[in-house]
Amino acid sequence: MAARRKSRGESRVLRYLVLGSWALVCLLPILWFLSIGFRPRTEVITPRPIYWPTFSLDAWNLLVSDWPIALYLRNSVLAVTGSVIIDLILAIPAAYALARYDFRGREDIGFYILSTRMMAPAIVAVPIFFLFRQMGLLDTIWALMLIYAAINLSLVTWIIRSYMLDIPKELEDAARTDGASDLRILWEIIIPACRPGIITAAVIAAIFAINEFLFTLLIASTANAYTMSVALANFTGGSDGIIYNAIALVSFLAFVPILILVILVQKHLSRGLTMGAVKG
Amino acid sequence: MATARRRSPGLRKAFPYLLLAPAMLYLLAITLYPGLFAIYQSLFVVKFVNWTWTGLGNYRLILQDREFWAALGNTAIIGGISLALQTLIALTLAYFAYRDPLIRGWRIVFLMPMLFMPSAVAFIWKLAFNDGRVISDLLMGLGLVEGNVDWIGSIWLARLTLIVADVWQWTPFLFIIFVAGLQGQDQEIEEAARLDGASWPKIFWNISLPMLRPIMVVAVTLRGIDITTMFTNVFVMTQGAPGGATETMSYFIYRQGFRAFNFGYASAASVLMLILTIVIAQTVVKRAFRSGKS
Repeated sequence: MAARRKSRGESRVLRYLVLGSWALVCLLPILWFLSIGFRPRTEVITPRPIYWPTFSLDAWNLLVSDWPIALYLRNSVLAVTGSVIIDLILAIPAAYALARYDFRGREDIGFYILSTRMMAPAIVAVPIFFLFRQMGLLDTIWALMLIYAAINLSLVTWIIRSYMLDIPKELEDAARTDGASDLRILWEIIIPACRPGIITAAVIAAIFAINEFLFTLLIASTANAYTMSVALANFTGGSDGIIYNAIALVSFLAFVPILILVILVQKHLSRGLTMGAVKG
Repeated sequence: MATARRRSPGLRKAFPYLLLAPAMLYLLAITLYPGLFAIYQSLFVVKFVNWTWTGLGNYRLILQDREFWAALGNTAIIGGISLALQTLIALTLAYFAYRDPLIRGWRIVFLMPMLFMPSAVAFIWKLAFNDGRVISDLLMGLGLVEGNVDWIGSIWLARLTLIVADVWQWTPFLFIIFVAGLQGQDQEIEEAARLDGASWPKIFWNISLPMLRPIMVVAVTLRGIDITTMFTNVFVMTQGAPGGATETMSYFIYRQGFRAFNFGYASAASVLMLILTIVIAQTVVKRAFRSGKS
């Protein structure tokens, strides 16, 4: 008995040693990067790194005066929100069909939807670029909205489908014997019952949309359609080199809302990230 | 009332297809159209507005193009090492974490790298490795190296920087899924084995890990798909340097299309990558999701 308790104590030390070290691996670069955001530019790139910099709001002043950061933020928010709304409108009926109806080709259609997630952005980048140019959509947030919606549609559909599968059929049967139509059942019973799934799908889709880089880089060529993610890559300020302290600050401006969203759906995150394959 | 709502059998049959139609049309427009366009464009030499028919000329060139094969190889090497490392680390962490009563409270710390914009993460590591010389300084402090390391000067060091950035950002993805999978398992089996005197590592290896397998396959497959499309880190950190040793497939297509304006050539590369994707999707991914479901 004593031996067993001892081995448990040792394993606890090892456990917290391992987990603690990885927590540091996660946190230290983030904290260090945060410190980059609040130091003067002269202390960013130096012959030897400076670990205890002087505090400065240089980066903030630069953002406010020289960079249309409010515009980038607005672009990000509009494009991301719009894309999530498109996704939900398209995905909820599709997920309902996949979860509740028996029809020919269901497996294949479901897999086709899933497989669009596998397509590398680079594969479709050239054709999409030409398509949007023809439609006059280059350099607009509409183009970003459409492309983000396309990227996330498979994910959103599969996540919502997984939550719909969990809803007991009896709920609908009762409504059906009362004469409710299929669409009314979807609207009044299914959607409220899988609200956590819908919210999780929306949050994960929003994160992927905020992060999207390649398409945004190609579609947005001026500040009209720059999002936070791509605006970052353009903080190179030409001959001045890369303006790291401004980059750091912007990345935290995007990080904080994402962190809050993720904390809200934490419980559902693993299920959402695997498109419903893991029920955790 | 009820009889009025009853639909004809034809509509009944068509109903699920009608529900699926908007999403399907959207996805077809965004995948099938570009696919066909890429196939068509790949048959031409495109110089701005001039399209000159070349038939399979682009494909003939590309299959002899050492840069194309290098990009394919780099994607496999960088992606393969990166995926193996993050799977191993995530599994180790999950082993220590999943029975921990406190993990729900502090797992958000482990998730943080994943919540940074990928372009920001690329800048973090570009600064840490190259411009800010922090990693070199830390290694010097440990006495491992003398002087600054030129991370972008050697093939393997440049690849290493990409691998570190990817592992740092995406190990959390696998970690959170592994933990959820392990916690979702029937605890009684483990407890029974424990009472029989088995040690935790043994229980994990012989009982928990085999049960986790289907979930692991799904998670690693998803991560694998994303790794093969690696672009942002290459774009920000190395731009393919040195000498194309870190150029991935995505970056190759981007460079051919949007830097060299060889759109026909880029489209041919896209088509080849698309074929590869479809083959992998039809074999590996289909199986992964089938086993994950059951």
